[in-house]
Amino acid sequence: MPQLTETFDRPEQATAAARSRGRAKGSRTEFWMLLPSIVVLAIISIFPFLFLIYASFMDYSLSIDAPSFTGLDNWRRVFESDTFWQSWGRTAIFGVAGLALELLLGVAVALLLYHAPKGRNLIMTLWMLPLFVAPVVSGLLWKYLLDPTYGLYNWFLERIGIHTQILGDISTAMPAVILMDVWEWTPLITIIVLAGLQSVSQEPLEAAEVDGASGFQKIRFILLPMVRRMIVVALLIRSMDILRYVDTITIATEGGPADSTKTIGYYLMQVAFRFQDMGTAAALGLTMLFVTMVMGNIFVKMMKKGEG
Amino acid sequence: MNRTTSAVPIVSVAMAGVLLALSACSSSSNTTNPSNSQPSASASANTSAPAGSAAAFGGMAEGPFEGWVEGLPKIEAPAGFDWKQFSGTQLNFISENTPPSSALAANIGIFEKATGIQVNIEQSNLDIVAEKVGLDFNARNANYQLIYADPYQILSKQSKNLADLNDFNNDPSLPHIPGGLEDFIESQLQADGYMGDTEHLYALPYDSPTMVLAYRKDVFDKYKDQFQQEKGYDWTPSANMTWDQYYEISSWINDKVKSGAISEVKYGSGHEAKQHDSLQADFSNVLGAYGADYFEGENLGSVGAARPGKSLLTSPEAVEAATMYKKLLDIAAPGSKTWDWTGVAEAFAAGDLAMAPIFHENNAMFEDANKSKVVGKVAWSILPKGTKRSANLFGGTGIGISKYASEKEQKAAWLFLVWATSPQAQYMILKSEEAGSTPTRHSVYNLPDVKKGMEPGTEEAKAMPNLLPMNAVLEAWKLENVYMRPKVPQWPQVDTIIYTELSKMLFDKQTPEETMKAIAKKSDDITGN
Repeated sequence: MPQLTETFDRPEQATAAARSRGRAKGSRTEFWMLLPSIVVLAIISIFPFLFLIYASFMDYSLSIDAPSFTGLDNWRRVFESDTFWQSWGRTAIFGVAGLALELLLGVAVALLLYHAPKGRNLIMTLWMLPLFVAPVVSGLLWKYLLDPTYGLYNWFLERIGIHTQILGDISTAMPAVILMDVWEWTPLITIIVLAGLQSVSQEPLEAAEVDGASGFQKIRFILLPMVRRMIVVALLIRSMDILRYVDTITIATEGGPADSTKTIGYYLMQVAFRFQDMGTAAALGLTMLFVTMVMGNIFVKMMKKGEG
Repeated sequence: MNRTTSAVPIVSVAMAGVLLALSACSSSSNTTNPSNSQPSASASANTSAPAGSAAAFGGMAEGPFEGWVEGLPKIEAPAGFDWKQFSGTQLNFISENTPPSSALAANIGIFEKATGIQVNIEQSNLDIVAEKVGLDFNARNANYQLIYADPYQILSKQSKNLADLNDFNNDPSLPHIPGGLEDFIESQLQADGYMGDTEHLYALPYDSPTMVLAYRKDVFDKYKDQFQQEKGYDWTPSANMTWDQYYEISSWINDKVKSGAISEVKYGSGHEAKQHDSLQADFSNVLGAYGADYFEGENLGSVGAARPGKSLLTSPEAVEAATMYKKLLDIAAPGSKTWDWTGVAEAFAAGDLAMAPIFHENNAMFEDANKSKVVGKVAWSILPKGTKRSANLFGGTGIGISKYASEKEQKAAWLFLVWATSPQAQYMILKSEEAGSTPTRHSVYNLPDVKKGMEPGTEEAKAMPNLLPMNAVLEAWKLENVYMRPKVPQWPQVDTIIYTELSKMLFDKQTPEETMKAIAKKSDDITGN
């Protein structure tokens, strides 16, 4: 009869084997516990991703019976389209300007709140209000406020002699849309950065105080470096979000006037749902995914650099 | 500061407040099912006996629907037909958020009471409707059994997913179209109901908004003599007015407003020239007036075609039309470039504009004192002429049935269609408090009170405000005056190209000639020419 029981020369060997068995058993338990999540992830993420790749090579319109293979036609159409490149250009302007303003304002307000002697909670609550507004409602809100017939802001501008159609002029529509995003999402940066500031140890600040550091020096050389990771996390979240910013644009400008607010997200939505050309939309979506991954990677590297 | 302008910010703040409050709510459904709503008070009860009873008439019996009036064809079914046989069936009707659908939702109780069929009416913007219908058809789900089949955004692409209504209308066991197909206005039936040929009927005409010229009668009457003295002709809008005269009149009013001589309005004219479907609609009126069109294919505006042929927009007539359109927009109210069809109507209702090409069903809003400052001051004419004719864009739609619905649901949906597009339901919609819509049926226009309602100042006109523009609209529907867009499957893409390039033209990013060339080239790419 074969020897089924393991024999060990030293007690520590027995202990290591027991640990190994424990780890294996633990791994199995972890696997079974993770399995539902993996299945859900596969259904909601991996399968659609694979389907997106498949659709990008198909002539796949909602009005045709069965998709047919078209090779690289969709990709060629995407890359040869002026609208595609122009939409990416506008998205870059929108993203860089929006993120820069949100970062500056968000960090500034977080620092103000951090140093506020009292009333921090009340101010924070008021400051956060735009975050609770759905982007579609935000679009409606701004559209009404800037409406040339009955908009409050338009009425006010006319009273002071400024006759302009903010959402109806190619030079002001994009800045207006950027400001709508800044209004809505700057509080998110504030919350994240403020959380980071509140977790900063007081000892370095007290030491700097003793050394005679000014308030600006404390912010520049102690606080900001210590919340650098939080800022990068906030930027990571917002940058991914800003790429697919379509709700407010759809309501406020519908990509106009003269395409001046047509970002890549809006263009994708137009191709997918107005033209119902899912093949081209899939190729467009994959380019967005690619850019999002590159951006995500850059921010993760920035975080790791900060850790180093 | 006058009372009206000081109210502006208050309204705006109120709207902002409401929106903020709404955003805190999680419920955003706009599905309506007013199954408990009462029949319209204005509808006279059909005193006929219930279906299948002794009220048989030539082998047919009247349907059990309230609202029939003398002079209209009756809703009838084969004797013995059980109108309640589909009781308990639930139908979903997806529609653009239009006045007739609101009126139908408010009066759906009439249908539900008579048939026991429950109808949920979901209303959204047309883009959303087209998107949801496309996804539903693609999944073969039939979540929506009843489809608001816009001829250009939906029917042209999705006709093969709609049931052939001839099958129901020719079924001897089912009720038929009251008054027959011939009671529909022929050109509207062609545009709304067919695709490619007249062999299959996919939808029945349901609404009929048409672009005509709304103008401020008070302004045109008051300054008529002064204008005539200066310019030498009667400026009252009529079938003889040209786009050149429209331009001249608009400029003249702008000048007088600037000098303070005219204070009743802020601008001579306004347009729906936002980068939106509305811009294409507004431009099409001028394009057609100069004898140009989008494609070379035949019958594109009536039954439509799968392939439209080459673009015609590089023709001299098209370039002339684009040049005129640019000229018109250069002097129009600056808000024009931000207005879609709702925006320009709201500006007109606010008293800002002396005239504007507008969908005629907005007259109900203009005559509603709660929404308008121009009550009793509005008159209508067909649109100005170009070098060839007056072209007035038709924007009507039909209702169809998803072919993926079960047989029982399709038959229940047919009963709804028979009722909703019947002369009596169209009459009910016309009279509804929700401002309704103008009928698609000849028989309704032949009713004495409807004829009276087309004359300004009558009690009937007050009760049915959408009738006031009807003299102009009936003129606009004549074959020589109506403009029907091309009904082709590629229209959503072509439409987007048209209004995007036009928007660039309006902001001087390209000339009218370059614009027409760009649209022609891109359209030909899309249509494979």
